[in-house]
Amino acid sequence: MTRKKKTSFKKRISGFAFFLLIFACLGLGLYCWNLSFQIDKRFSGRRWSVPSRVLSDATLLYPGQGVNRALLQKKLEHLGYRQCSHSPARKGEMRSSPSRLEIFLHDIKTPQHTREGFPATLQFSASGIESIVNSRTGQPVPLLELEPEELMLFFGSQREQRQLVSIDHVPRHVIHAVLAAEDSRFFDHRGIDPLGILRALYANLRSGDIRQGGSTITQQLAKNYFLTPERTLTRKIKEALMALIIDAKYDKKVILEIYLNEIYLGQKESVSINGLGEASTFYFGKSVAELSVSEGAVIAGLIRAPNFFSPYIDKNRCKARRDTVLEAMYKHHWLTPDQLKAATTAPLALAGYEAYVRRAPYFMDYLSEQLESLYPPEALTSLGLSIYTTLDTQVQMAAEEALSKGLKRLEDANPRLKRKEPEKKLQGAIVVMQPKTGYILAMVGGRDYGVSQFNRITQARRQPGSAFKPFVYLSALDSFTPASMLSNEPKTYTIDGRQWRPDNYSTVPETRVSMREALSKSVNRATVDLAMKIGLDPIVNTASAFGFSTPLKPYPSIALGAFEVVPLELARAYCAFAADGVLPNPLSFKDVTDEEGRILERRHMAVQPVTTPAKAFLITSMLRSTVDQGTARSLKDLGIHFPAAGKTGTTNDFKDGWFVGYTPEIMALIWVGFDDGSSLQAPASALTLPIWADLMNAIPHHLSGSWFKAPPGIVVKTICKEDGQLAPASGCPESLEEVFLAENAPKETSNLHQGLDPIEGVIKFVRELFKNF
Amino acid sequence: MILFVGLGISACAIVPQTPSSPSSPPSPSAEPAEQKSEQTTSLQDDSPQAVASLRLTEQARVLLESGKVDDAITTLERALNVNPSNGQTYYYLAEAWIKKGNPSQAREFNRLAAMYLRDDPGWMNRVVDQEQRIGTR
Repeated sequence: MTRKKKTSFKKRISGFAFFLLIFACLGLGLYCWNLSFQIDKRFSGRRWSVPSRVLSDATLLYPGQGVNRALLQKKLEHLGYRQCSHSPARKGEMRSSPSRLEIFLHDIKTPQHTREGFPATLQFSASGIESIVNSRTGQPVPLLELEPEELMLFFGSQREQRQLVSIDHVPRHVIHAVLAAEDSRFFDHRGIDPLGILRALYANLRSGDIRQGGSTITQQLAKNYFLTPERTLTRKIKEALMALIIDAKYDKKVILEIYLNEIYLGQKESVSINGLGEASTFYFGKSVAELSVSEGAVIAGLIRAPNFFSPYIDKNRCKARRDTVLEAMYKHHWLTPDQLKAATTAPLALAGYEAYVRRAPYFMDYLSEQLESLYPPEALTSLGLSIYTTLDTQVQMAAEEALSKGLKRLEDANPRLKRKEPEKKLQGAIVVMQPKTGYILAMVGGRDYGVSQFNRITQARRQPGSAFKPFVYLSALDSFTPASMLSNEPKTYTIDGRQWRPDNYSTVPETRVSMREALSKSVNRATVDLAMKIGLDPIVNTASAFGFSTPLKPYPSIALGAFEVVPLELARAYCAFAADGVLPNPLSFKDVTDEEGRILERRHMAVQPVTTPAKAFLITSMLRSTVDQGTARSLKDLGIHFPAAGKTGTTNDFKDGWFVGYTPEIMALIWVGFDDGSSLQAPASALTLPIWADLMNAIPHHLSGSWFKAPPGIVVKTICKEDGQLAPASGCPESLEEVFLAENAPKETSNLHQGLDPIEGVIKFVRELFKNF
Repeated sequence: MILFVGLGISACAIVPQTPSSPSSPPSPSAEPAEQKSEQTTSLQDDSPQAVASLRLTEQARVLLESGKVDDAITTLERALNVNPSNGQTYYYLAEAWIKKGNPSQAREFNRLAAMYLRDDPGWMNRVVDQEQRIGTR
């Protein structure tokens, strides 16, 4: 009975154990199934969050173009070109002298242009680029493009930087280096390597310390990709199971590709460098396909302890580690003795890297706002998009420097403009645009982004003062001409029962001035006289057509710009004068592509005519007089010797100083003022013209020295200055040439000087001449 | 004598190429009758900017013919930024917008092409033909 009971008990136990085993197997199966599901999900979906990149516009160089060598040099350095003492033999090398630049160009891959890098020689003359030659073929290069510059990355919370590479583009010797360093039996085992574990165990026992991990590449991938970093037995088992599943389900090449893109390979400040692609750029400034045996071994050697072996931290330690990897490669017959010798004696030619600095931060904020409507923030931080902007980094650098120096100069010249508190300091802003296309080349929204992120170009509302006058004069061009005479007499206007008596900023002795003089010398009384003659509604209508979004009221003070505008809108409106009356859309980016370079979004210039080309030309012609003889004439003393048009703007109590100036190719708006509206105690010309001149003198590559061609509908007539009528054929002592719209050019001949004795005429002329001094 | 003007009335305006040879060097044009004087001129046809701009225009024409309309537009915008008075750029921009099915943009660019190419009879024939094509859309 007892024996029977015992047998039955044993049977029960073994039955229970059997069921337990079945249950455990079932559980393990289910667990593995769950792991497999997790792996499939991860491998089939998007594998990494790759930050989107913001890139500058590509730079165009051509023979005959003006050049600022210092800015070009800085740009090349930002693009990763390194000075060398020999003739450049590898992509990214350059050698410069005062008269020439030898450069081995990087490859270019933009939505519009794909080009393999080649060596080029640029010869410089005093005025700019004299010639560009392909150093390999000796052929002249008519147009040379420099690749876009990376300006910013939209990092997620993990702050990982990664460039994905395909296993097919990884050279064999780099793969061998990684295998030699981490898992030489990768192609032979099934995800875990018992032999490797035993070898590691033996090595660890011999040394009495844990020196080798014995983890295969697949295990490392499972650990990095799916698991948390804690070291527990359960996690180790899970890691091994996952490695087995991954190996069973996926091709070795796929596993290796994911591993090479996943691994952590160093640190650039707070950003981690992940994957072979990013590491190649970070350490050697080249693509993975271009890595040498030695460089491949350096990167492979980093996997174990990236920051400990980093060549940026300790070159000798890095070299020793590289040599260990090279020896291992040789041991596995992946290197010949000659290759080993060459690689171990190769010097470490590091790319060097620049610390992260916020480039064009105000522009980036503006761009981010523009992108917000297209992509949610999480898409920008994870999808690896490339955003090709319109920014010209040379213009941006020039604008930042011009503003910073200009404001300091003003403070030094007038200590009353100095403020102790950083947030109360004198401020300024610049935007530079290409008038025809609306491309924003540069944007500086304030003096110091670290102190204030308020963008004074896009977010500020400031009165434009006299900088608004061109829109008043434009509104009058149907019935007035540049030769029309306006009253400069003091006059009091009654507005809503209140008296308003506009006055001029500087003394203008004449009681009557021509429209050209009134605009170029910024005569307030004459401008208000004109505004009252044509009525205020046409001025409001003109301003609305030119895209001012802030509320405009038909008050007489509108003639003097006494309402607020957004500076970017003022800049855009001036572009229309330089663009045949076509109002451009300000463009901050041109293309957005995905990781594969496929276009997702495009922006093109749009044509929106707001006035006729002839009227735009007349305003430009009068604004050129501002620069030649008017309130901006001091530009000549500041080195501006090319034709330009522009308008200064000073507001009540000198609260704002403006200058908006342009050529056919470029328009730049300068604003100076205090955020709290304190007085600048000086007119705009003294505040803004030196800044505009510094900026323009620094960017000769955007200036041709040409001028606008008169459009159809413009005629030139010789007129009598006094009455604006045609000068008599017999002669007029005060004749001048003036441009007119064909439909309202003067038809009558002046009779003011008829019968005037020639000597009397000369005396009158001399008297008139001296009156101007 | 106080001379204010003579501003920008060009005697040697940039002259576009003939339609039959889009990449051949442009020829000088006749001086418009009403122009009396000048202080400075618009871009000369052999100036570095004009030459570079025409090369870009030619690149854009090839892109346009191969159906890469958006790439062509972006290249034409670059051409315009290098030389804003390159009339051919407007002509091809109009062509691009015709291909994109936007006659109103095409019409505006055609208008600008007519303005900048008005001194070149060969190109004007093409511009007029283009205008008619846009008009029928």
